Amino acid sequence: MSKFIYSTLLFLLFAVQLFVPAQMVYQQEDALDTGTPYKFKTQPLDPSDPFRGKFIVLNYEIDSFETEENWDLYNGPIYVYLKTDTEGFAAVKTVRKTKINTSDDYIIVESKHNYGKTINFDLPFNRFYMNENKAYDAEISVRKAQIDTTKICYGLVFVKDGAAVLENVFIDDLPIQEFVKEYQQKME
Amino acid sequence: MNRFVQFNRYENRAGNYTLKYPLSNTYFGMNSKLETQLAELLEANIISADIVQKITLFYHTKEEDKPNRLFVIFGILGALLTGLGLILIIAHNWDDMPRSTKTVLAFFPLILGQIACAYSHIKKKSTAWVESSATFLILAVGAAISLVSQIYNIPGNLSNFLFVWIAITAPLMYLLGSKVALVIHLILSTWYASYLGYSYKGPIPWWYLLQFAWAIPFYITLLKKQPKSNMTGVLNWLIPLSAAIAIGTFTNGDTLVCMMYLGFFGFLYNIGQVSVFKKQKLRRNGPAIIGSLGSSFLLTILSFEWFWKDAPLESYPLAELLMTVALFLAGAAVLIYLYLKKQIKSFNLFQYAFIIIGALYLTKSFGYVHGIILTNILVATLGLFAIRIGINKNSYGILNYGLLLITVLIICRFFDTNLDFVFRGILFIAVGAGFFFTNYLLLKKQGKNAINSNTKSHE
Repeated sequence: MSKFIYSTLLFLLFAVQLFVPAQMVYQQEDALDTGTPYKFKTQPLDPSDPFRGKFIVLNYEIDSFETEENWDLYNGPIYVYLKTDTEGFAAVKTVRKTKINTSDDYIIVESKHNYGKTINFDLPFNRFYMNENKAYDAEISVRKAQIDTTKICYGLVFVKDGAAVLENVFIDDLPIQEFVKEYQQKME
Repeated sequence: MNRFVQFNRYENRAGNYTLKYPLSNTYFGMNSKLETQLAELLEANIISADIVQKITLFYHTKEEDKPNRLFVIFGILGALLTGLGLILIIAHNWDDMPRSTKTVLAFFPLILGQIACAYSHIKKKSTAWVESSATFLILAVGAAISLVSQIYNIPGNLSNFLFVWIAITAPLMYLLGSKVALVIHLILSTWYASYLGYSYKGPIPWWYLLQFAWAIPFYITLLKKQPKSNMTGVLNWLIPLSAAIAIGTFTNGDTLVCMMYLGFFGFLYNIGQVSVFKKQKLRRNGPAIIGSLGSSFLLTILSFEWFWKDAPLESYPLAELLMTVALFLAGAAVLIYLYLKKQIKSFNLFQYAFIIIGALYLTKSFGYVHGIILTNILVATLGLFAIRIGINKNSYGILNYGLLLITVLIICRFFDTNLDFVFRGILFIAVGAGFFFTNYLLLKKQGKNAINSNTKSHE
């Protein structure tokens, strides 16, 4: 192969290497700019990832839904349609195996271990990356706050066309980073 | 007397030659042991000054390569450490920075790596440049995806991340001709297969087959063009090791896994007999060593009663069955190739062991006694074969490997047979005596060879 073809292929590869993260950025920014925000009640835990660092896993209160349909042994993707409840938090409106004709926002999630009329699922936006010095304290401080007071922890998620971007995690209306900072200052 | 004076003394005695490097650092940088030996040989009139000159020149040329090689190694290490450091710094998560700044920063190392690669490619820079820039770029790609995932809290597990990373860096080895890119590709692919396949109820990592196959043409080219280079030596081990780790992910933990690995090790051993590997030093022949050790280990396990008597014949998953059959066929194909190319010089039972056990396994439904007996006989015969090869090749390592195989077999039978203690005792004494006797035999043979060669040289 001539050097020209090699060079062309090399630059094409460079373009793909740039495109992959750029496309990831675009998708997320689009959902953040034009998507609908929802507040999902949650509980954080603290594991870590070798490349992306420390994160907190968010255990959302929404993890199942009662339907008329029988879901025995169903494994696969489902469409979870969302609404906002009277307190302003996200709630499930309906769950379907296929997309339906409605203007309601939806998220596509994987579902497994189903029996009877209850469909179980894990919301996909369950990782929130944090500064390595704050992730563990985030878990502890939020757990303490929820025992002592009636503070509510929620993830602010922007939803658009099935895609969901977790923008930040809040304790009442304080971003989790601020909350942990205050907690760490109190502990010193 | 210093070396320079010594050197000049030899010059005066010879009288009719000129030395090119009497004062050069290269000469003085030569292996001092060799240097002393050369001086001794010259003084004893065993070699002429002319030959000393030639030997000096030979090492001089060899020494010239060394700084370049060191530069390549340090370049790669530097790029590797910088890249890994970058990933760690990213993993810290700088939450004080605005999202836009973090996003721009995510692309910075990637673009830097691409510029370095493009520069080394266009300007046809040295191996050090190519290998270092390729190493840095691969790590920078991983860092960029990690950082974007971190900034936007993008869900997805490690296997998805590794998959994308491997996919968009795989062509680099071919486009830049980078061997380190191949090594990193193999490590990442093995990690991907293990992470996905060995997790609880994890799926079969089919993509690994493609990732592995992708690396093979590059490796074959290296084997043809640079069979003796250091990196080819490393790959001779790394490629079979990667496959050995990943193949286990294609089973669901039933007894067929023994057959699958036996087929794989048989295939590897035969690959190790292909002339391109056979011509190399034994320590560089990764396929033969891994194949032989793996086969011996598995055959020892298969010599137990439970495998033939108690392990049930189940209905195996199609993927596992296909993989096992494919590996046996591949092993047989290599054997046929060796025959056609006349690369089989003498009968070596190790090359056929997998076929024999494979055939026995097919007859498992007819009974178990023949399976147990024949496997035990096979392992013992393999031990004897290794002893024979060891004696023929004057290799203590191979000789004792054979003895060890027989010993392990006897120890295993110590536990699961009803032989009386006296008989077992006699067996152990016999093998112990065998150790002494065969090693003594080899020692004697080597002594004889040395005497013969000395006599010939005096004649």
